[in-house]
Amino acid sequence: MQARARAIGFELRAAGLAFPGTVALSGVDLVVDPGEILALIGPSGAGKTSLLGLLNGRLVPTSGAVLVDGRDLATLGARELRALRTRLGHVPQHFGLVPNLRVLHNVLAGRLGRQGLFASLKTMAAPSRAELEEVHALLERLGIADKLYERVDALSGGQQQRVAVARALYQEPGALLADEPLASLDPGRARETLELLVDLARERGLTLILSLHDLELARALVPRLVALRAGRLCFDRPSGETDARELETLYRVDAAPLETSV
Amino acid sequence: MTARFAPRRAPRATLLAALLLAGLLAWFGAGLHLGDLVPRGNGTAVLGEFCGAALRPALDYEVAPPPGSPPLLAKVLEALRLTVVFAAAGMSLALLLGTLLGFATATAWWSEGAGARAGLGARLLRRVGAPSLHVALRGVIAVMRAVHELLWAVLLLAAMGLNSFSAVCAIAIPYAGTLAKVFSDMLDECPRTSAAALRASGASGVQVFLFGLLPRALPDMAAYAFYRFECAVRSSAILGFFGFPTLGYFLQLAFANKHYRETWSYLWALIALVVALEVWSGALRRKVVMR
Amino acid sequence: MSAHAPSDARWREVQRLRSARPRSRALRWSVVALALLAAYAWLAGDVALADFLTARRLANLRAFVADEVWPHDLAGRAGDLGAYARWALARWREVGASATLATLWISVAAIVLAGAIAWLVAPLAARNVTAAAPFGEPPRHDAARRAPLFVTLRWTARGLAILMRAVPEYVLAFLLLAVLGSDTAWPAVLALALHNGGILGRLTGETLENLEPAPLRALAGLGARRRGVLLFAAVPMALGRFLLYFFYRFETCVREATVLGMLGVVSLGYWIQDARTRQFYDEMVFLVGLGVLLVLLADLTSAVARRWLRRS
Repeated sequence: MQARARAIGFELRAAGLAFPGTVALSGVDLVVDPGEILALIGPSGAGKTSLLGLLNGRLVPTSGAVLVDGRDLATLGARELRALRTRLGHVPQHFGLVPNLRVLHNVLAGRLGRQGLFASLKTMAAPSRAELEEVHALLERLGIADKLYERVDALSGGQQQRVAVARALYQEPGALLADEPLASLDPGRARETLELLVDLARERGLTLILSLHDLELARALVPRLVALRAGRLCFDRPSGETDARELETLYRVDAAPLETSV
Repeated sequence: MTARFAPRRAPRATLLAALLLAGLLAWFGAGLHLGDLVPRGNGTAVLGEFCGAALRPALDYEVAPPPGSPPLLAKVLEALRLTVVFAAAGMSLALLLGTLLGFATATAWWSEGAGARAGLGARLLRRVGAPSLHVALRGVIAVMRAVHELLWAVLLLAAMGLNSFSAVCAIAIPYAGTLAKVFSDMLDECPRTSAAALRASGASGVQVFLFGLLPRALPDMAAYAFYRFECAVRSSAILGFFGFPTLGYFLQLAFANKHYRETWSYLWALIALVVALEVWSGALRRKVVMR
Repeated sequence: MSAHAPSDARWREVQRLRSARPRSRALRWSVVALALLAAYAWLAGDVALADFLTARRLANLRAFVADEVWPHDLAGRAGDLGAYARWALARWREVGASATLATLWISVAAIVLAGAIAWLVAPLAARNVTAAAPFGEPPRHDAARRAPLFVTLRWTARGLAILMRAVPEYVLAFLLLAVLGSDTAWPAVLALALHNGGILGRLTGETLENLEPAPLRALAGLGARRRGVLLFAAVPMALGRFLLYFFYRFETCVREATVLGMLGVVSLGYWIQDARTRQFYDEMVFLVGLGVLLVLLADLTSAVARRWLRRS
């Protein structure tokens, strides 16, 4: 039913990211194949958000290289970077929705990058039947179809997150990047949401990269785990091969150096 | 790091003391004496008569007017209508100009909007062109609103002569300046999270500005614009003192002729109009801003 | 882009959701009404655009800009900056300095007075202060009997504030001049103080009403009287907000003080009007320029003060 966008692969080559005074990431090597599903884990401050920022071109590495869909981001001009970004769905931690607009318009905004200015004005002012039906179908899949015309600020946190996911999917991306998608949800909801994201990615053959706090869920539902600690890659393996103790140490051992590094 | 959270000496007490001192200085500087508050000459009589007339505004002329004059109430209504017409025309022009200038002077526009393009030409524009244009436009805006609407009227009268469009411009110029400043501040103060999300999805600078930033600032902008319309009505009314056919003109005339009850007819009309607008804008503000 | 099969059932559902969407009629109609009003204002024929740009007016404008606003005595000496500077200095010594200073004093005196008026009005107009049971404390036994008194008091204060701010300062000053005469600055000071007092009174009253009730209730629960809670808790809590508004109004006060002089009180406006009636447009524009500088200065002061307040 959905035209499949080609899945996108990522590669980090000894990527490092330093801000004045702090090192967010250093020497990270990572290859993500198209269609793969993986979770970035690690305590807060480990560099998960920075890594996602590198992957979607929001942040520029201070050393090493970032390749998206086989192309080095550093070699892309602004126009090419924009074109590439239209194929990367992004669900930021605080959703980045416009609270005083309706769900419909927030979702429609996902496709702005592919429209010219006038086309996008037309879409926002008077969406076509096809666009309306597509957004509705997408929201239906996410279980919030009846919220199509609600204002976003009238929705619960969980519902807002689904709107953000819908916006990212409406982009018809080749990869979905989600920053802490479970952070603001209660435990029951968290599992449900993670399942939904993983299912959606499989359905559409998308690459899915999430940053997660909840290790139990990550191990249960995500096939590949990439652990970060104080800006470095700690381990990277299929979740079946991780054991509880290893994960525990990731957090415990890390506690001390993390404090000093900030 | 800790110093930032240390309680600082409250500046309010200092400010308050400075204000009182300034007030005291101003008292002597302006040569104010309490004794001067007592009406002099026929001031007492004028005051008594004028206040007495407040509760009995005239419904018809106090002295028979020249034949062919419209009834007083029709005249009041016509003055009221023209007051609103000049205010609305001036305000709509100000809104147009103010929005354009407000966008152009918002740093958000240059960081999220058109200014955020890359490429050598655009980068040059951003580094050199934009900041100088920014500063120049801010200066223009500052001067536009630093000159009072009555002074604009005086200047326009001197330059163009008496014409209804001068009144509209006299309102539109300073109001456009004020709107531009407030709009650009509002755009700069609103959160950038949605703008960042749209940028991440590949939206162009203009799109990010229009759909990620502007909608968030729009309710505040609309509420403020409505409030300024209220002010524009008052400005339009006093433009009558300079010969335009708004409430001020007739009010001044009636007062000069010592027709205090007629004066109150115009005054009450103005008060009713302003209060009605205030109630309307208050209701809208609650609806739009406080959701 | 995407091959999405159209479905009539879905389309009907979308239309159902659309017709049931939450929306505000009042808002919609207000926008329509205001748009119509703007259109009417331009189309009703009262604003004579055609008459604006006539050849005669344009010639007027050209003469004004090219000739009349430049120092008359220096005609033919364009480019002689020294002469211009000397001319400006002479005007500054003549009336500029004293008029600018007078304008400043009038506005400062007026805004301080307006602040005082605001604090008289605000507590009386605030719902949580002027009530039988102030600050959310449990009502006294005779609260029901006393309630109407407080409601009356509150609405009287509000009504007065509305009247004060509904009448433009220019009109107030015009009326006061007839009563107090023009050899004192009171008409201007009083007009500005009343109008701004009305505005500040309302804003401060709203600030008082929106104060967090818990600390006030706690103090009231300890047995503090209305006066005590107001003076030692509510006023200090509202002071920051009040000062922000105060400085914001100060800017406007300076602008207005310039203009009120045109009625006869000796501020910049007086001399502007004087130059205007003598048709000495060079002096007039010079004085308007002084007014601009004064306003920009006040603007800067108030911006600095507000930033200072916000930061702390």
